[in-house]
Amino acid sequence: MSGAGARRAIVPAPAAGRGTVARALVTAGAAVSAGSTFLPWTWTASFPGDLTVAGYPGGNQVITLVVALVMLAYCGAAYGLPGLRALAPRGATPALRALALALAVSTGYVLAAIAITLGGLVNWVPGSWVAAVAVLLTLLAALALPDDRRDAPPPAPGPRWRETLVVFAVLLGGLVLADYGLATEHTEQFIGYVLALGFAVRGLGVSGLPAVISALIARNRVATSVAALCAGLAFAVIQTSGAYTSLAANVLIFGAVALGLNIVVGLSGLLDLGYVAFLGVGAYAGALVSGSTFSRFTGTPLPFWAAVLIGIAVAVLAGVVIGAPTLRVRGDYLAIVTLGFGEIFRIVVNNLDGVSGPQLTNGPNGIPNIPDLVIFGYDFGEEHTVLGVTFGRFTNYYLLLVLVIAVMVFVFARVGDSRIGRAWVAIREDEVAAQAMGVNTFRLKLLAFALGAAMAGLAGTVQAHVTTTVTPDQYQFLSTAPPNSAFLLAAVVLGGMGTITGPLLGGALLFVIPEKLEFFEDKQLLLFGLTLILMMRLRPEGIVPNRRRQLEFHEEEIAGREGRAVAGVGA
Amino acid sequence: MTLTELLQLTTGGVVLGAMYGLIAVGYTMVYGIVQLINFAHGEIFMLGAFGALFVYAWVPALHEISLWLALPIMLAAGTVISVVAAVAAERFAYRPLRGAPRLAPLITAIGLAIVLQQLIFLYAPLRELRDDRWETTVGAKQPQLFPQLPGEALQLGGVTVQWADVLTLGFAVVAMLGLAYFVRRTRTGRAMQAAAQDPDIARLMGIDVDKIIVIAFAIGGALAAAAGLAHGLRYGQITFDMGFIAGLKAFTAAVLGGIGNVYGAMLGGIVLGVVESLAAGGLSYVDAVQQFGGGAWKDVWAFVVLILVLLIRPRGLLGERTGDRA
Repeated sequence: MSGAGARRAIVPAPAAGRGTVARALVTAGAAVSAGSTFLPWTWTASFPGDLTVAGYPGGNQVITLVVALVMLAYCGAAYGLPGLRALAPRGATPALRALALALAVSTGYVLAAIAITLGGLVNWVPGSWVAAVAVLLTLLAALALPDDRRDAPPPAPGPRWRETLVVFAVLLGGLVLADYGLATEHTEQFIGYVLALGFAVRGLGVSGLPAVISALIARNRVATSVAALCAGLAFAVIQTSGAYTSLAANVLIFGAVALGLNIVVGLSGLLDLGYVAFLGVGAYAGALVSGSTFSRFTGTPLPFWAAVLIGIAVAVLAGVVIGAPTLRVRGDYLAIVTLGFGEIFRIVVNNLDGVSGPQLTNGPNGIPNIPDLVIFGYDFGEEHTVLGVTFGRFTNYYLLLVLVIAVMVFVFARVGDSRIGRAWVAIREDEVAAQAMGVNTFRLKLLAFALGAAMAGLAGTVQAHVTTTVTPDQYQFLSTAPPNSAFLLAAVVLGGMGTITGPLLGGALLFVIPEKLEFFEDKQLLLFGLTLILMMRLRPEGIVPNRRRQLEFHEEEIAGREGRAVAGVGA
Repeated sequence: MTLTELLQLTTGGVVLGAMYGLIAVGYTMVYGIVQLINFAHGEIFMLGAFGALFVYAWVPALHEISLWLALPIMLAAGTVISVVAAVAAERFAYRPLRGAPRLAPLITAIGLAIVLQQLIFLYAPLRELRDDRWETTVGAKQPQLFPQLPGEALQLGGVTVQWADVLTLGFAVVAMLGLAYFVRRTRTGRAMQAAAQDPDIARLMGIDVDKIIVIAFAIGGALAAAAGLAHGLRYGQITFDMGFIAGLKAFTAAVLGGIGNVYGAMLGGIVLGVVESLAAGGLSYVDAVQQFGGGAWKDVWAFVVLILVLLIRPRGLLGERTGDRA
């Protein structure tokens, strides 16, 4: 404890018993921080979230409370309490430091916001001072903790029921976190949430917990899939506000399309810059056969399954028409052809208004009044109450979309792990080598392109019903509203190419962050462009990296590290 | 359709195509050496037009003299902005990613295009003449009026040719002659050909390939700036997002001519421009397809040309000149 560990401590302190003192201080600090959230933090309710109430936490205090409680659990792990030790397989100190940082930054942010927006430190009440001192003390004590990093052997598989339970608990925890973030009511709360979550995730990452959890998930894939589906469905039950279920339904559409794009970009390495056009093709196909009074084919509402099939078929047809000439030639051309296709789709749909061309799409006005879906007599436009839970219009669509995504994830996972998926990855890595190995690159690339188009077409037919209106301007290369080609590509790239969770997470972030941070206003696209550039420089493998891709992007660093190791051995 | 109308459409197409060709040279040169589709090149063209407008708006002396005399200064300003932006993009965005997987620089290029567009949209310092008073505005949120060349349009045997058209063609001719001389006769030009054929061997022969790449970006930027100025004079207004479609067309022109081939880029541009102009104008004279004529469909025809080229002759009209063919 005092040897190598003592040298790693960041804040110097008397060596004797330092670990004990620091650990006790961290525990006390976290406890006081948790307690301070039950006190008022300011005297006026004009600060968003009403932090004036004594007796229970409100607004941003909830975030501080949760982080402090997680810290207390990790303190328990640091003390070696039997049940809690599993939280930090590779040492509690790094996690405690990062969590203390999360606590200090998110709490400090709120306290600073109180002082600044209300005009001065006089707006702090004793509760704020208690919180400020407590989080600061916690942070300093955490920095003084001796390092207890250790190599953990992979934990032995527990009994089946316990592993399944843990998987469910983890995913439900994720659901609650996501729901909280989505339902934050004001900017301060959302920023505090993002700060706390960002640092805390970083902290848990170094504690070795994610490795254990991903091993657990890899062992229990069926349970994980079921749990994820349950978590997705449960969201509809716990979230009843219409605005947020509408947002969630849109996030799911976006995520579904991003997942489809991930087949094209992430698995096969084909850069598709007009992907949103396939969504548009599906949506227009769905709208035309929906029985809308403004549709050319009014009065023929096809059943949903038929509409979906038509949407998919038309999208695949478009994909093959675009892909067949392009995929034969150099890969780079695909980017520009798809970019052109995305633009041409919009122009054509704009022109098919009966004046500049034959009447099919009503031109710029689009097709409004798309009726709600009715499947097996279940009208998606109506409110339904099942077992005391009310499902509003967007909740209905949300549930349908969860099923659509489940199907897509299933297809993605099965195809990705198959012979076809391996051939795609081979093409992505080195097309010439893949061809030499006997892979029919053209046919497989076309298959990837068509499958991607099919997924977008499927999402499009649902989207037409959710938005009730389809217009050409919804399907652009770049606009401030999320479903557009650039944002879709960004969702895949930022989230993590070739993974399932990556595009869903990336899509959710790209959708929710602009929604929550109004002060971006018109600078949103500028920041978006900068994010793309910086991400390619700093973390090209995305938030949720695919293992193979990460190695590919950091080849030099890894080679360098190995080189140093070899040099060290030589010396 | 009379012969005069056909000639008029063709002339318009050639002028439009010369503008596409000027932009396409930038795509094709860069692609020939580093195999990168520089998506931000359309925005370099847009910056060139705005650079010319900036100097016109902010230097009052230019309003006193004939626009013909102000042109060289406007061109110089546009060129400086475009070249600086293109070289900075190469240095800070693309060069660090050389050797990275193919998608990384492409996505960076898209990010860069968005950033350049938004910078002009949000922060371009502009001045406009309103009610005889110059008013300052920040950000090009509306289409910006561009000064027009004085003088009557030329009448050549019934075909109307604007002075801006003459200027565009002049830019194209001068640029192509200059490029031909540069590429064939100068040491740097030959070094560029060598670098395009095989960068590694060129490096072994003592050629500073990094410098050659910077020069390719700079030349592309300069020609794009000339195209930007020509665009402003021809259409009388410029917008922050005009680089998107123009860049798309110019890339089509580069592919049509044979990527990596600078003469091909100009030829491809002119062919594309004529096809676009004839399709848009010509189809309106044919009853059966009359609806598909007109300006609304011209971008669609340009795209159809791209697809057909890829189907029939993917090497382009004059053949590719790139080192690596995958």
